[in-house]
Amino acid sequence: MKGLTKRYETVYIVNASLDDAQIDAIIEKTKEFIVKQGGEIQEVEKWGRKRLSFPIQKKNNGFYVVTYFSAPGDFVTKLTRYYHLEEQIIRHLTILLDKKALLALEQKAKEKEASGEAQGESSAESTSGA
Amino acid sequence: MIRNTRKPGRYQRGGTQVRKKRVCRFCENDTTYIDYKNEKRLQRFVSEQGRVIPKRITGTCSKHQRMLIQAIKRARHLALLPFVSEAVR
Repeated sequence: MKGLTKRYETVYIVNASLDDAQIDAIIEKTKEFIVKQGGEIQEVEKWGRKRLSFPIQKKNNGFYVVTYFSAPGDFVTKLTRYYHLEEQIIRHLTILLDKKALLALEQKAKEKEASGEAQGESSAESTSGA
Repeated sequence: MIRNTRKPGRYQRGGTQVRKKRVCRFCENDTTYIDYKNEKRLQRFVSEQGRVIPKRITGTCSKHQRMLIQAIKRARHLALLPFVSEAVR
């Protein structure tokens, strides 16, 4: 029997000295890996290049990617293994989203939606004004 | 007794009076989860050297301090927050 699926959140840092195309390729590869191994992606968020607080593998910058997904429990070990094998991923963190975290996530999404709507309205106004 | 004339809720440090914060910032807006990805928010609870500021100074309650520490540790792992700030290194 397949294990219960749970919601997870994973952040990984890609080597920022690569080209955008190469980074995108790694992101696509990771997405594919998650889907292939029985995971379901909810959202992929790219933070972009950021300065690291301290050097990791002698690099001062990193490209942050956040992925929200649901998968059976044994998937996380596979994902960790994948991260280790992928040389261009310099740091990663996968956490289980508990009830409280999910609630906070929902709330955040709602706020985002609300602000997005407000922005849409303001832009609509500006276009009508122009 | 000079000591007893000191106003409650205040303490002296180096001759200057500092008002002690009593209310936990996270309790004020009913926080149930502290996000480690929001490093700007976490920075307020970390000293200049990168150490966690004790709850007796920030006024955070025990429950939220525990959540905060987990968030800070996660943020450190992802290099969002320093373990030790550059100035000290």
